[in-house]
Amino acid sequence: MVSEMEKSGTKLITLKLSLTKLRYRTYYIMAMVFLVVFAFLVIAPLIQIIITSFTFGRNDLRMVRGARVGAFTFYHYSRVFIGRLAHALFYKPFINSLIVGAGVTTLSMIIGSLLAWVLIRTDIPYKKFLNSVIVIPYMMPSWVMALAWLLIFKNTRTGGSSGMFTAVFGIVPPDWVSYGLFPVIVCLGFHYYAYSFLLVSGALATIDSELEEAGSLSGLNRISVLKKITFPLVLPALGSSFVLTFSRSMGTFGTPALLGLPVRFFTIPTQIYASINARNKGDAFVLALVLVVLAAGAIYINSRIIGKRKSFVTMGGKGFRSRLNKLGKMKIPVLILVAIFLLIIIVLPVVLLTWNTFMRLPDDYSLSNLTTHFWIGDSDYELASGQEGIFKNEGIWGGVINSLKLGVLAAVLNAFMGLLIGYAIVRSRGTRMSKALEAVSFAPYVFPSIAMGAIYLSMFAHPFGPIPALYGTFYLILLIVIVKNMPFSSRTGISAILQIDKSLEEVAQTEGIRWFTRFRKIIFPLSRSGFFSGMILTFITSMRELSLIILLVTPSTRLLTSIIFAYNDQDMVQHANGVTLVLMIIIVSANFIVRRFFRAGSVLGIKES
Amino acid sequence: MGKRIFILLAIFMVLGSGINMFAVGAKEEPVDYPEEMDAWLQEAMLGPYEGEQDWDEIERLANEEGELVIYSSSSRVEKVAAVFEEKYPGIKVMSHDLGSVGTVEKTISEQDANLFNSDLITTGGSGLVIHELLNNYRLVNFVPSMFVDQIPEEYREPLLNRIVEGYVLMYNREFYGDTPPISNIWQLTEEKWRGKVVLKDPMASLTNKMGLWTMVQHAKEFEKAYKELTGKKIELHEGVPDAGYEFVYRLLHNDLIILSSGSKVAKASGAKGQTNPPIAITGYTYIRYNASKGYVNALVTPLTPFENIITPVYTAIARQAAHPNAAKLFTAFLLGDISITMDTKFAEPYNEGESARLLQGLGPYYEPGSKSPRDTVPVAKGGEKWFDLDSWVVDPDFMWDEGLKVQDFWVQEVGN
Repeated sequence: MVSEMEKSGTKLITLKLSLTKLRYRTYYIMAMVFLVVFAFLVIAPLIQIIITSFTFGRNDLRMVRGARVGAFTFYHYSRVFIGRLAHALFYKPFINSLIVGAGVTTLSMIIGSLLAWVLIRTDIPYKKFLNSVIVIPYMMPSWVMALAWLLIFKNTRTGGSSGMFTAVFGIVPPDWVSYGLFPVIVCLGFHYYAYSFLLVSGALATIDSELEEAGSLSGLNRISVLKKITFPLVLPALGSSFVLTFSRSMGTFGTPALLGLPVRFFTIPTQIYASINARNKGDAFVLALVLVVLAAGAIYINSRIIGKRKSFVTMGGKGFRSRLNKLGKMKIPVLILVAIFLLIIIVLPVVLLTWNTFMRLPDDYSLSNLTTHFWIGDSDYELASGQEGIFKNEGIWGGVINSLKLGVLAAVLNAFMGLLIGYAIVRSRGTRMSKALEAVSFAPYVFPSIAMGAIYLSMFAHPFGPIPALYGTFYLILLIVIVKNMPFSSRTGISAILQIDKSLEEVAQTEGIRWFTRFRKIIFPLSRSGFFSGMILTFITSMRELSLIILLVTPSTRLLTSIIFAYNDQDMVQHANGVTLVLMIIIVSANFIVRRFFRAGSVLGIKES
Repeated sequence: MGKRIFILLAIFMVLGSGINMFAVGAKEEPVDYPEEMDAWLQEAMLGPYEGEQDWDEIERLANEEGELVIYSSSSRVEKVAAVFEEKYPGIKVMSHDLGSVGTVEKTISEQDANLFNSDLITTGGSGLVIHELLNNYRLVNFVPSMFVDQIPEEYREPLLNRIVEGYVLMYNREFYGDTPPISNIWQLTEEKWRGKVVLKDPMASLTNKMGLWTMVQHAKEFEKAYKELTGKKIELHEGVPDAGYEFVYRLLHNDLIILSSGSKVAKASGAKGQTNPPIAITGYTYIRYNASKGYVNALVTPLTPFENIITPVYTAIARQAAHPNAAKLFTAFLLGDISITMDTKFAEPYNEGESARLLQGLGPYYEPGSKSPRDTVPVAKGGEKWFDLDSWVVDPDFMWDEGLKVQDFWVQEVGN
C-alpha cells in the first residue's frame, strides 16, 4: 500500500518536474508547433508543385495515349523546355520577364536611391511631408499605374478612341508606347522604387557624415565622395533592394496582364495564369518552379556577395553625427524636380482616375460629358451594363467589407504569429529547430503569388488533412494571405524580440511568473512599435493583393482588387477606376490612423532578405 | 535507413497525391453506373429510372428539399435564382459563379473526395462537360418532359442545352456602310486587314475557344473558301497540317489583336466615330451593345464559309445531388413558361412584368444573338437574323479529341 502511494507520489513529482521543464521551454514547443503548421502550409504545397510537374494530369490523357493520371513523367518539362512549344511557352516570356526584372530594378533603384539621398543627406525643405508622400505608391496595388497609363497613352489598337495624350496633343502614340515592354517597365518602376527608397534611406541615415567629410578633406570632389565612400556604405541596402525588386517584378501578374495582351507581350506569370486556365497545371507548375528557383537564386547571390560585406557598415564608431549636404543654389530646382516627379507619379494618376469616374463616355473630355452616375447613380442599362453607382452597389460594398475583413484579420493574426515565431526563433537560437523554423517561415517569399494561388486552389478544393474543403470560402483567402505575408511578419517579430534582452524575461521567470503573463506584461509592450508597424504593413499588402487571390475568389468572397480587375476586363473603366480610388483611400487613411494613434513606426518593415 | 526512406516516401506520396489519390482515369465508353450513384438515381428518379415525370410531385418534393446549390459559369444565374425564389419561396437557391473552368474543376475535385455539394451545374465548354463530366458519371441529363417535343434532339442529347449562343463576325456599319467590307473570311488574312481584326483571348474564354476551334475543324470548307476567293489551291506553311490551322496561322501572323474581354472587342469594332475600325470575331450576343451603348456593329453576312457558329450552354443535375427535385424544377424554370409560342411578343425590358413572368429563367439570357433550344420561343429583338444564318454547331468530340492540339498550335503561334 505504502509503496504504491510512494510510487504514485514519485510519479507526481516526476510529472511536475517535467512540466516545469516544459514551462521553461515554452518557446521550444512553440517552435515545434509552428514548424509542423508551416510544413503543412508551405512545404506540402511546394512538394505538390514538384510532384504535379513530374506527373501526368487528367488533361494530359487527351494528348498522350496510354498515360495514367499520377504516373511519373518528364512530359511537362520537355514541353516547356525543349518541345515545339518551348519558344512560345517559356523562352520568349522568360526573356521578357528577365528584361522586365532588370529594367524595373534599374529604374526603381536609380529613382529610389536618388530620392533617398536627397531626402536624407541634403537640406531640402519640407522633408517630413515629402517623406510620407514618397511611399504612397508602395501602398497602392502595383497595377494602378497601368490603369492610369492606359487612360493617358492608350491608342486606337484596342478600339474606340485613344487616350488623353491624343486628346491634348493630337498625336496617337505608337504601339510600343501604349502597350508591352516599355510601359510595363515604367509603370512597375514607378511602383517598386519605394523599396529602394525605404531600404537606402534606412542605410543612409546610419552613415556617419564624418566619413564623407574626411573624403572631402582629402581632396575628393562631391561625385568622388559619393562614388568612393557613400556608395560602398549603402551597398548592402542596394543588394536587398535588388533582390526584392527583381524577384517581385519578375513574378508580378497584374501590370503585364493589363498592358501586355494587346501586343501579345507575355511574361512567365501571365503564362502561368493562361496555363492554369487551360488546365495545363503541369506546365504551369514547371513555369512556377522557374520563378521559385530564380527568387531563391537572387537571395543566395545577395547573401553570398553583398551579405558578407555588411560588417563594413558599422565602422563609423561612436561619435555619430550626420551633417547634411547643403544644396545651396540648387535647393529650389531640386525641390521642384522632386515635386514634379511626385506630381507625375502620384497626383496625376489620382486626378485622372478621379476625373475618369465622372465621365459619362470614357474618352470625351468635354464638360457636358460629366456625370455622377458612376458614384451615386441607380442601375441604368444604358451605362455600365446596368451596374449601380459605386456607393449604391452591393457587390462593391461586399468587396469593401471582404477586403477590410481580410486586411484587419490578416494584420492582427500575422502580427501576433510573427511575434510568437520571432520569439520562438530568437529564444531557441542555436538549435536546429530555430534554423528550420526561420527557413520555413521565410520560404513563402520565393513562391510566385500566382502559382501559390493555383496550388492552394487544388489543395483545398477538397478536404486536405484535418482542414475541410476551403475553396469558395473566405478562410482560404485569409489563410493564403497570412502564409504569404509570414516572411515579413516573422522578420518583424525576430527583430522586435532581438531588441528585448533575455534577462528581463529571466527575472520574471525566476519570480515564477507564467509565460502568458510574461508575454503580456513584458514582451508585448516592449515590441509594440514593431508589432503595429508589422500590422500596418500586412494590412497594406493584403488589401492590395491581386496575383495571390485572383484564382481563389468567388462571387461571395470578392475583394476590391478582384472587383477592379473584373470591371477592367469588362471594359467598365469608370467603375474600375472608382473602386481603385476607394481602395487607395482606405489604405492611405488606415496607414495614417494607425501611425497617428498607435505610434507605430513607419512602414519601414521591409528590411529583410 | 531503408525504413526512414520508406517513411519519407510515404509522407511525400500522401502529401503529394492530395487530388490524384482518388482520381479516376477518363473513361470513353459509358458503362454501368457506380453502385451508390445507381441507388441515388433510383431514389431521385433520374437517368434510367426517370419514368413518367409527375410535376406536382416534383414541386412538392422540391419544396420539401427546400434548397438548391448551383455551380455555374455565368453571373446572371444569380438573377435567375432571385426570380426563382420569388416564384418558389420555399426553396433557397445558392448559386456559385465559378467560371467555366472553375465549375468543371470544382465539380471533379469535390466528387473525387466523395463530396456531392452541388445539385445543378450549368456551363459552356462542350468538350469538357460531355467527356470529363457526363461520360464520367459526374452529371446526369434531365429534360423536363413537357419540353421534349419542342427541343430538337441535338439540343437535348446527350445533354440539355438551356440556351445556345452564336459566334460571328461583326463590322462597323457606320464606317463601312450596309455592305460588309468582306464576304470571304480569308480576306481577313490579307494585308488590308493587318492589325485590324480583334477577338477575345480564346485561352481565357471557352466560348471563343469553341468558336475558333470549330473553324479549325472545318478545314475542308476553309480550303474550298480559299479557292473561291483566290482561284488557287491553298499553300500551307511548313508544319501546318491543314487549311483550318492555316487560317489561324495566317490570322495570327496578320497582327491579330487579342483583347481580354468581349466588351472591349465589341467596342473596338463597334464604337461610333472611328476612322479605321477593325472587324471583330466575337459572341453574337454583343450586338446588344448597339442598343445599350450606341455601338454600330453589324453582322458580316453573307460570308463564306460560315456565318455563325452555334455554341451550347448546358444544364444538368450533378451526381448524387442532395436536392434533385429542386434541380429538376430549376431546369424547367430555365427553359421558360410552357405557354410561350413563336407568336408571343415580349416587351422590353424583359426583366419586368408579363415578359418576365413568361420568360422565367430565360429572362436574364433573353437577348439578341442567343436562342432558346425550344423551337417555340422567338428570338429577342435585334437577333432576328439568327434563322437565316449559315451555321455550324460546335462538336464536343472534336473539342475533346483535337482541342488540345489546336490549343498548343495557338499557344505556339501566338507567341512567335
